[in-house]
Amino acid sequence: MDTLAARDQWVNHVHPLVKFIVTLCYIAAVVSFSKYDIVGLAGMAVYPVAVFILSENSFLDSVRRLRFVLPLVCLVGICNPLFDKSTVMLGGMAVSAGILSMAALIMKGVFALMASYLLIATTPAETLCCAFRMLHIPRILVTQFLLTYRYITVLLEEAERITQAYALRAPGQKGVHFKVWGSLAGQLLLRSMDRAEEVYESMQLRGYRGDFGYMRERLSFRWQDGAYLIFWLGVILLFRVVPVVSVVGSIV
Amino acid sequence: MSHIHIDVENVSFSYDKGREILSGISFHAAEHDSVGIIGANGAGKSTLLKLLVGLRLDFNGTVRVEDIPVEKGTLPQVRSRIGYVFQDSESQLFMNTVREDIAFAPRNYGLPEGEVEKRVEQALEMTGIAHLKDRAIYKLSGGEKKLASIASILSMNPDILLMDEPSIALDPKNRRNLIHILNSFHHLKLIASHDLDMILDTCRRTILLSGGRIIRDGRTEDILTDKKLLEDNGLELPLTLQGQNRID
Ligand SMILES: Nc1ncnc2c1ncn2[C@@H]1O[C@H](COP(=O)(O)OP(=O)(O)OP(=O)(O)O)[C@@H](O)[C@H]1O
Ligand SMILES: [Mg+2]
Repeated sequence: MDTLAARDQWVNHVHPLVKFIVTLCYIAAVVSFSKYDIVGLAGMAVYPVAVFILSENSFLDSVRRLRFVLPLVCLVGICNPLFDKSTVMLGGMAVSAGILSMAALIMKGVFALMASYLLIATTPAETLCCAFRMLHIPRILVTQFLLTYRYITVLLEEAERITQAYALRAPGQKGVHFKVWGSLAGQLLLRSMDRAEEVYESMQLRGYRGDFGYMRERLSFRWQDGAYLIFWLGVILLFRVVPVVSVVGSIV
Repeated sequence: MSHIHIDVENVSFSYDKGREILSGISFHAAEHDSVGIIGANGAGKSTLLKLLVGLRLDFNGTVRVEDIPVEKGTLPQVRSRIGYVFQDSESQLFMNTVREDIAFAPRNYGLPEGEVEKRVEQALEMTGIAHLKDRAIYKLSGGEKKLASIASILSMNPDILLMDEPSIALDPKNRRNLIHILNSFHHLKLIASHDLDMILDTCRRTILLSGGRIIRDGRTEDILTDKKLLEDNGLELPLTLQGQNRID
């Protein structure tokens, strides 16, 4: 992820605070749609699609990375048809309200997830933390975020090392035998926690105090940043208030 | 007396109230001192270094760095003066690229970007890894990581250098270069290592630890040539001296 964020794309250079605000507003707008309004929601796809293209991020890549989270988001919506058995009219057809609201919920979840993903994929962790500090989010929370972010990497590395060490001593065995899952998972947790702690120690020993002061100077606010902010806030507002998709649909 | 010095007085320590790992440790080291810390596996070398930078504060006794007692409130002050190279470089490096990692400390200490850049270039050159500067940390080899972690400490321009097994994983040429770097660092350095030949080449003074106690503290030539003393404490003569013995 960090390598993605360190790439030299135009979107990556937009001020982190601007990207953070746009993302927040976007998520707020998406979530605020009524629970049957899938047509309006569909229009909101414009933001992730545009940013995927601008930042030259691969959509498939993101799906691969989010493969553990996406199903969870979808799962939340799936129970809806069971509870909501009424029907509503959509484009002259009667549709089960449960299915509609399920679709809307899944869309909300996926869009919010994608927007967050794009924020992280186009902004290095430190830069994002610096933006948080500019918003006066407490130091401790920002450090918490940074460490969680690093912890995920450490966890994945450690998992790979453990499974490799296991495979080397258990030749001809596919995957990991279920009997040792418990001890492997325990090891993984302990080792990655130890390593994460050492990483934090190393940061402190080299003067980290959760300030990111040095970044502020490098992150100057340019007119492009202002333009980016105004443009996206405008677009989000437009798609939220005006049912753009149905309007365009009726013209065509 | 110069302002750069470390004082350790009667320090004892145990992890989580268990077995005592260090007992009754006292020593003083001042500017221009080069101190090798040797001892068998588990003797407490790494633990001692960790106490000096305040990574563990639950010890008995006192540790002073440049007259500042090492305790919770003084940590930022103490740490800005000490550079500590971890035994495990995996945990020490955490930024994306080598350059970013080396720049981390000088940036945090608020140096202007031009100065940061200069420090980074210097550290890269000293450690001979200028060609790695834009590489991703996680794609480095073991020895390259070690060099990067040394560079990330050199860029702090510390008064006091603590190194835990710095020569581990280095090839002969890089090991020689490390000895050169250590010898051109004139403030105060403490080096914990099993590489007794390197200690012989870089440290005038040696502290021998065994079972968490200081067994001997004296001139390196005296300690590292004392076959019986070393063997009694689970060590052996440095390789260069073993050769001489055979000729005798
Ligand atoms: N985090 C910890 N928790 C509990 N015990 C520990 C911890 N770290 C080290 N120890 C124990 O403390 C003792 C001293 O460890 P230390 O790492 O200081 O030894 P060392 O002299 O550096 O050894 P080596 O030469 O192997 O690096 C060892 O017996 C070790 O098992
Ligand atoms: Mg050690």
